[in-house]
Amino acid sequence: MTEHYIHKRPSSITPSKWMCGVFFLLLLAACSKHPSLPSSFTQVNEQPRIYPDYVGVTIPPNIAPLNFLVDSVDDIIGEFKFQDSKLTFGGKANKVQIDEREWKELLASARGNSLSVTVYAKKQGKWFAYKPFPIDVAEEEIDPYISFRVLPPTFVGFENLTLMQRNLTNFEETTIYDKRQISSGIEGQCVNCHSYQNYGTSNMMFHMRLQHAGTMIVSDGQLVFVNLKDESMISAAAYNSWHPFLPIIAFSTDHTMQTFHTREISKVEVMESASDIIIYDVKNNRVQTVLNDSLELELFPSWSPDGKWLYYCSAYYEYQKGYEDTDELLQNYKQLQYNLYRLSFDAKTMAFGEPELVYDARSKNRSAVQPRVSQDGRYVLFAEGPNGLFHIWHTSAEALILDLETGELLDTKAMNSPLPESYPSWSSNDRWILIESRRDDGNYTRTYFAYFDKQGKVHKAFEVPAEDPEYFRLLLKSWSRPEFMKEPVRITPRQFYEKALTEPIKVSN
Amino acid sequence: MGSNVRKVLKESQKKKSVKSGNRKWASPLAFQILFIAFFVFLAWYFLYTRNADTMFFMQDRGWWNSTSLFFKDCTEVPGGLLSWAGAYLTQFFYYPALGTVMLITLWLITFLVAKFSFKVPNEWSFLIFVPLVALLCSEIQLGYWVYILKDIDYVFYHSLGLLAALLLSLPFWNLLPLGDKAKQWISLAWIPLVAALFYYPLGIYALLAAVLVTIRTIHSLKEGAGRVLLLAFTLWLVPLLETAGTTLMRPDQPWTYGFRFFALDNLRDCSLEIPFYLVLIAPIFFPFLKQIKTKKLWQSQGIMVLVALAMLFCLSKRDFTDYNFHAELRMQRAVEECRWNDVLREAAMVKGPVTREMVMFRDIALINRGEFCAKRYMYNNESIPPVAVSDSIHVRICDQAGDLIYYNYGETIFGIRRAIERCMHYGYSYYTLRVLTQCAIVNGEKDNARKYLRLLSRTTFQKKWAEKMQRFVDDEKLLPTDEHFRMPLKLYNEGSELVGVDDKYVELTIMKKWMYDLTLDPEAQEVALGCAMIMRDQRCFWSQVQQWYNINPGKHFPIHVQEAMLFGVYELKMEGINLSFVKFDQRVVDRYKAFFERLNQYSSQGMNEKQIGAALRPEFGDTYMWDYYVLREVQTN
Repeated sequence: MTEHYIHKRPSSITPSKWMCGVFFLLLLAACSKHPSLPSSFTQVNEQPRIYPDYVGVTIPPNIAPLNFLVDSVDDIIGEFKFQDSKLTFGGKANKVQIDEREWKELLASARGNSLSVTVYAKKQGKWFAYKPFPIDVAEEEIDPYISFRVLPPTFVGFENLTLMQRNLTNFEETTIYDKRQISSGIEGQCVNCHSYQNYGTSNMMFHMRLQHAGTMIVSDGQLVFVNLKDESMISAAAYNSWHPFLPIIAFSTDHTMQTFHTREISKVEVMESASDIIIYDVKNNRVQTVLNDSLELELFPSWSPDGKWLYYCSAYYEYQKGYEDTDELLQNYKQLQYNLYRLSFDAKTMAFGEPELVYDARSKNRSAVQPRVSQDGRYVLFAEGPNGLFHIWHTSAEALILDLETGELLDTKAMNSPLPESYPSWSSNDRWILIESRRDDGNYTRTYFAYFDKQGKVHKAFEVPAEDPEYFRLLLKSWSRPEFMKEPVRITPRQFYEKALTEPIKVSN
Repeated sequence: MGSNVRKVLKESQKKKSVKSGNRKWASPLAFQILFIAFFVFLAWYFLYTRNADTMFFMQDRGWWNSTSLFFKDCTEVPGGLLSWAGAYLTQFFYYPALGTVMLITLWLITFLVAKFSFKVPNEWSFLIFVPLVALLCSEIQLGYWVYILKDIDYVFYHSLGLLAALLLSLPFWNLLPLGDKAKQWISLAWIPLVAALFYYPLGIYALLAAVLVTIRTIHSLKEGAGRVLLLAFTLWLVPLLETAGTTLMRPDQPWTYGFRFFALDNLRDCSLEIPFYLVLIAPIFFPFLKQIKTKKLWQSQGIMVLVALAMLFCLSKRDFTDYNFHAELRMQRAVEECRWNDVLREAAMVKGPVTREMVMFRDIALINRGEFCAKRYMYNNESIPPVAVSDSIHVRICDQAGDLIYYNYGETIFGIRRAIERCMHYGYSYYTLRVLTQCAIVNGEKDNARKYLRLLSRTTFQKKWAEKMQRFVDDEKLLPTDEHFRMPLKLYNEGSELVGVDDKYVELTIMKKWMYDLTLDPEAQEVALGCAMIMRDQRCFWSQVQQWYNINPGKHFPIHVQEAMLFGVYELKMEGINLSFVKFDQRVVDRYKAFFERLNQYSSQGMNEKQIGAALRPEFGDTYMWDYYVLREVQTN
């Protein structure tokens, strides 16, 4: 893994920034690092209500400091204990912000064990000590990077959208691509469906829509810009998955549409009035149709890590008039419920088998989408909601795990919430689950991680740590569609920008 | 060169002071004071007297909060510090008089800095006001552009930028205890340094500072050429270096960051950019003002009068005076503050045709007063599209206050949708967060409401509002007791769940939805009935009439409903309608008959529809029949 940051936001160290930096360092030097515990306090027989909620969570040993805050107090101190080691942080209003170096040392020593955290809070001049809570430190590390889209919880417009990457071992956040480089108009440019081959960034892709439309593909480190649409496809390629070792990408192609509720808190329904699945040969720039049954709406292809299966979801829908009638579908949006299927794949002949039903969500009056198979091939992680495919808008949506050996669903209550969860995925070692969730406030999507132990137990999910624990409360944008990565994206935003100004290459079939 | 000029100027000033010694009122100083007073009057008149509503609106669509996240967001692009400071100061237009005083004070400080730093003689100091009047012009010329401004800092940004550039160009090296050569070297080094150090905080105004430093320090042609060359190199290189790798801005536009372009997609209104060119170019001439030789005082005074007249002319020309534009702003604020009488007063005062947004604001006030079907047609419903300052923008209700209108009709989810969509394009604002908060409270999305209130409580003037709203989040039983929530909550609860899109047509979406809603709540039902009347849908109208009768047995129908029933049965010939159960007011029946008698009379005289409509208006312009008959081609935006 490289610690070299290729581009920061903004990347250049300007003289004016030097001035700010020097001022900031002086300010830091003036602050005390470890506050002392209050000499007298009242013991409270309950655990503190901290934000983000890190009480009783299991964390990776390489995660960034879990800074937190407590509401309605004047001052707090957090005491972190492991065996004989004790560290105190806080003493700056209601926030506990932990020193990165000391946190790393603490986690290294507590790996595979448990930290005990005691929170002392000052209210109206009096100190209170809350009941300590544990933070378990797992043996297994988490992939060091995630990438995600940052945008207001918008429905149509894309004026303000950035594709970002975050180093999970610290708080470094850098830009992969920012559409503001290229467009400032109302129509804007949408950037979506970023994906990586085997968690690496030498082979990766994302789409650009509207202005300068096309697909950015990094193939063995080389950047190409492709127009993934030909006359045999119903639309440009959309949701996708890289084959784990072959230079091919499976895509769904679709006619997408959305409609709005007038009272339901779900607010919006997204539908595909038609969809198929294709594969794209990156080296030969060719597409091949895999599934195009007119009565099935196939979506979200996802390769198994051994490359022998292509999982996907599909909804059966028969138009009454015999043709694609979007008005009819709008009225029947609740009928769109997806099951999970898979196709066998022979890498030598590039041939697919017949669809096999993996999980029948429809029989439970539910809709299962976005399947992801664990590295060991035993579990399928997916999002399930009442209908349709955009579960981040469905309050009852949750992330589920199907055990392919037993055919049973695992207990995933610990990582879900009463508000929407969606877009789950596995870390490269199967021990960490990444989900997007709206549990904070119901509208702004945030990234959560949950530990999945070797016994198949799902642990309580926790929010991605932020340098300022208030960050996600104040941020009026969503972190949408997070993906794990083992390394940062090396192509610079400027390179993507320059490529986007060129004419995309047309595919052939 | 400089010292010679100084001598000449001093001598000429001495002469003048002798000449005008016995009439001090005509001295250059007196005229300078007079011009300052003239400028202050102009600024106050155009900013406060004529545009207080616009200035309040611009602050309300701005955004500033005390969090470090906001500061970081602002300072990610060149000009970021100006942006943050501009957004902070813009808040003070919450009280338009206070904001006006602050802005005028800032301009006067700018004047003093320019005058004394460039040693501008009193008789020519009025020329310093050229960029300041351009700044004043930039505040009042926008019209409907205020709805789509992306700049949360627009009001103060450029004024602060100009002052910062002037301050940074002050010859501080003259104060240092060094030799002339050393001072020259420092002044030379300051040209690239001021640009490099301040380009990120000040954007294009750091480049202006570099230009001013260069001009100020040129003493000879030979030395001047070198400095100009250094300046050119600085202006080219600094923006390139400082923006290299930055992803928040267009790589092809590094030199213009901080300059205001009025562009929207492929449309551009260059006329609105003229003041900003003046702000950047005029100060370049300040260093030369002291070199102007004044032979006779009346010459400069004459020019001053001409300049004053030109300024007055330009400001009057550029001031956006469209009545409906200002009325919309006032009505929107009154709707937000539940001042229904003020909304109706505003609606009654309009003389000509109104915009559809004004119609909707007025209808919201009528609904809240329970007079939707009793008084709606007593107001003017004749509509025209908003008159934009240029043809470059198409004004839509959804981009104006569509979210607020949706909220007041209980359509909170569409309100959220429109609010977020606008934020995506034009950024968050106090206004938007207030609308989003109210929608979230009505929806029962308490955590979401808390998020917005947390942010609003970090602002300067929205804290009280946030504190008030917090009570409703903590205790939802209070909602029906407060005017902000009473009717929206009722309409939210009584309205139906549907799925659909609005295609950016706020008014049509509300009307088409509500005319089908059958509810048992008398107030909500009157809204449904009113919408059916507006849409002129006979099936919906009679269904709603039946519903009204069912839930208000024995009561008299509102006047306009009686008119519409008579119109439907006798003029539109609706079959199968039994009116025997309806108690009509005799006056309504008499006016209905009189209306058609007069209509037939005018028609037989050979008048066309337009002429008939105009002739009927004085007597029947407050009836449903007149509205139905005359206003046939209402187009919503």
